[in-house]
This record gives sequence, C-alpha cells and structure tokens, in this order.
Amino acid sequence: MKKIFFQGFSLVVLFFAGWFALQQVDWMSVFKVEQVTKSTEEKLGDLFWEIFGKEEKDLRASDIIGPVDSILTKICTANDIDRSQIKLHVLDNEEVNAFALPNKHLVVFSGLILASENEAELSGVIGHELAHIQLNHVMKKLMKEVGLSVLISMTTGGSGTEIIRETAKMLSSSAFDRGLEREADIKSVDYLLKADIQPEPFADFLFRLGADQPEMLKNLTWISTHPESKERAEYIIEYSRGRSDGGKPVLGKEAWDALQQTLGELQ
Amino acid sequence: MSTFAYKPDDHEAEKASNSYLMSLIAVIAGLPLPIINLIATFIFYMGNRNGTYFVRWHCTQALLSQASLVLINSTGFWWTMSIIFGPATVSNSYLAYIIAAVSFNLVEFVATIYTAVTVRKGVHVSWWFYGDITDLICKPNQAYEKNIFSRF
Repeated sequence: MKKIFFQGFSLVVLFFAGWFALQQVDWMSVFKVEQVTKSTEEKLGDLFWEIFGKEEKDLRASDIIGPVDSILTKICTANDIDRSQIKLHVLDNEEVNAFALPNKHLVVFSGLILASENEAELSGVIGHELAHIQLNHVMKKLMKEVGLSVLISMTTGGSGTEIIRETAKMLSSSAFDRGLEREADIKSVDYLLKADIQPEPFADFLFRLGADQPEMLKNLTWISTHPESKERAEYIIEYSRGRSDGGKPVLGKEAWDALQQTLGELQ
Repeated sequence: MSTFAYKPDDHEAEKASNSYLMSLIAVIAGLPLPIINLIATFIFYMGNRNGTYFVRWHCTQALLSQASLVLINSTGFWWTMSIIFGPATVSNSYLAYIIAAVSFNLVEFVATIYTAVTVRKGVHVSWWFYGDITDLICKPNQAYEKNIFSRF
C-alpha cells in the first residue's frame, strides 16, 4: 500500500514539476501570442474608431481637448501609465457617455463633460474608462461577447461592415459585467487618489445620474449602461473613506468653466 | 511486462487488448470533451466485469489510466473555456500547462498502443502505479481459479 501511495505521489509531483519547468520557458514569445493579440487589438481599435470618427465630429480644438488631456495626463503620470499610448477623443455628441475601444482609444462625449458639475467628476469617469483599458477589459469583453474567431475575421476582412458596426455600438452602449465594472471603479479611485484628485465627486456623479431625472434620461447612455449606480456610488465612498485629503484641482475653476462654455456653445 | 497468474486464451487476449483500443478510439472521438474517454472505458469495463480474470484485470488498468488523464484534461479543458468565454487570458502558465498535459497524453497514448499490441499476443503488461492499484482492486474469483487449476 505504501508503495502505491509513493508511486501516486511521484506521478503528481512529476506532473507539477514538469509544468513548473515548462513555465520557465517564455512560451508567449515562442508562439508570438502577444504579437498576434496586439496586432488584432490594433486593427480592431482602428476599425471601431473609424466608425465613430465618421459618424461623430472629433473635437480636436485645443480649448476642448486640452483640458481633458490635462486631466488624463495628470492621472497617467501619477500612476506610471504611458500617456502616449492612450488615444483620447472628445466627440461632439449630447449623450452622457464615455467608453473605451481596443488599442487604448478613450472616447468621451461632449454631453458627459457638460453633465459633470466639476472637473473631479469628469476625472472619475476618465479614471474609470482608463481602468477598463489598463485592465484589458475591452478585449476580454469582445472575446466573451463576440468570440475570438469573429474578431480575427473582422481584422482579416472576413466580416461585413455591419458586424463591425454592431460590435462597435455594443462597446459604446453596453456595460461590462458587474465584476469588471466594480474592478474599474475601485481602480479609478486608486488612480484619482494617487493623482491627488478627490474621488467623492465621482460617487456624486453616479448618485446624481442614478437619481430619477426625467429631463436628462433620454441622453443618459453612460448611466443606463452602467447599472446599479447608487450601489456603485456607495462602495466608492466606502472605499475612499479617510484616504483623500481634499485633493488639488488639475484645471482650476476658470479653465473648467471655459471648457463648459465652449462645449455649451457648440450644442 | 510481468507474468500473469495463468496463460490467457486467445479470445481473452483479444478482449483485454480491446479495452485499450477502446480508450484510444475514445481519446480521438472525445478530444473536445475529456470525460468521453473515461465514460467509454467505463462502459467497456462494465460490460466485461464478469469476464475472465485476465480481461477484467486489463479493463480495470485501462479504466484507471483514463481516470487520471481525465483530471489533467478536464482542468485544461475548463481553463481553455474560461479563456474563450470568460475573463481569463492566455498566459505562460496556461501554455506550459497545455504542453505538460499534451506530453502526458502522448506518453499515455504510446503506452496504450504498446500495451494493446502486447496484450493481444497474450503477454501480460502491468503499468507502473496503475498495475499495482489494479492488483488491489482486481482479484481472481474462486470459480475461475478452479478452472485454471483443472487446466494445469
């Protein structure tokens, strides 16, 4: 009997030792997994961005993109994120919405900036979308919803433009699953705290948009696609309690008001 | 390779060899679902559990060898599923696991073919570890032992 236990134990050890030894080889490079994933993501990002870029006006004026870029750069710098990798877009659309696309495209609609009462609220949303990008949620969601084979066929021209359009719309108008949303919220709070930005206004933003405001509801895409906003606001407050010392504004009131005014005039 | 309690007849050798062939066919048919080969060998085992000692012994060894592979393959299967449909991503650990699992499957595959061929010739093959467990589980029954003694 002892002999059998020893033999069984040896087999288990042999398997795990073999597995451990194999892990010492960089199979990701051997099979070029990262290169393939990266190139698929790059192509998908370009394909999806092309659709939004065509349908909505990309606001590139420095008095609009500049302030939003300053907030993003502050968050990136404080959190050791390579800012040059993030492609920031502000689109002229009255919907209260922001979303991330593959290949690190971060899209904010002008409607969301106008719905934010201060720069800290906008910073929270930017931090949230940045977290989705950094935690690779976008590709995970695409793999789950669309599947790897369809994604690859999109990049190789095997899928029709309608499928690409539908997938792009799905990314902009549907939430990640509850777990990923929570992970992005918590990560966003961490980002904000490191960047010395108050996280509480992000919770206020969720509370406000989650409250019943019929006159705003028709444009509240971000909140309708990010459900349980009150619950989210609560755990954001809970998580950040006692960790924020007030924060410092990135833009200042004057620059924030100027941004709001410029966007208000556009609409 | 070791000696068995008696020299099996040709029809016994054929049935015993079939239990290994069964697992080979099931491995090929059940590649996407690792549980298939276990079910197939289990069905074959159930069909032959009242057979002669030699047949029963080899059916049991074939079944046991599949059982451990099922654990390895099921882990690999569900890990792959969680990558395709869930939040997991392809990692170095995953690739190393799949290579380790494929290696174990290959070794088992080659050993199974060798055993199937050798057992068909009526030669007893007892695997390391699995053979010893089979010895514990599979005992010669009294009626058949009488038969053996009457033959020798």
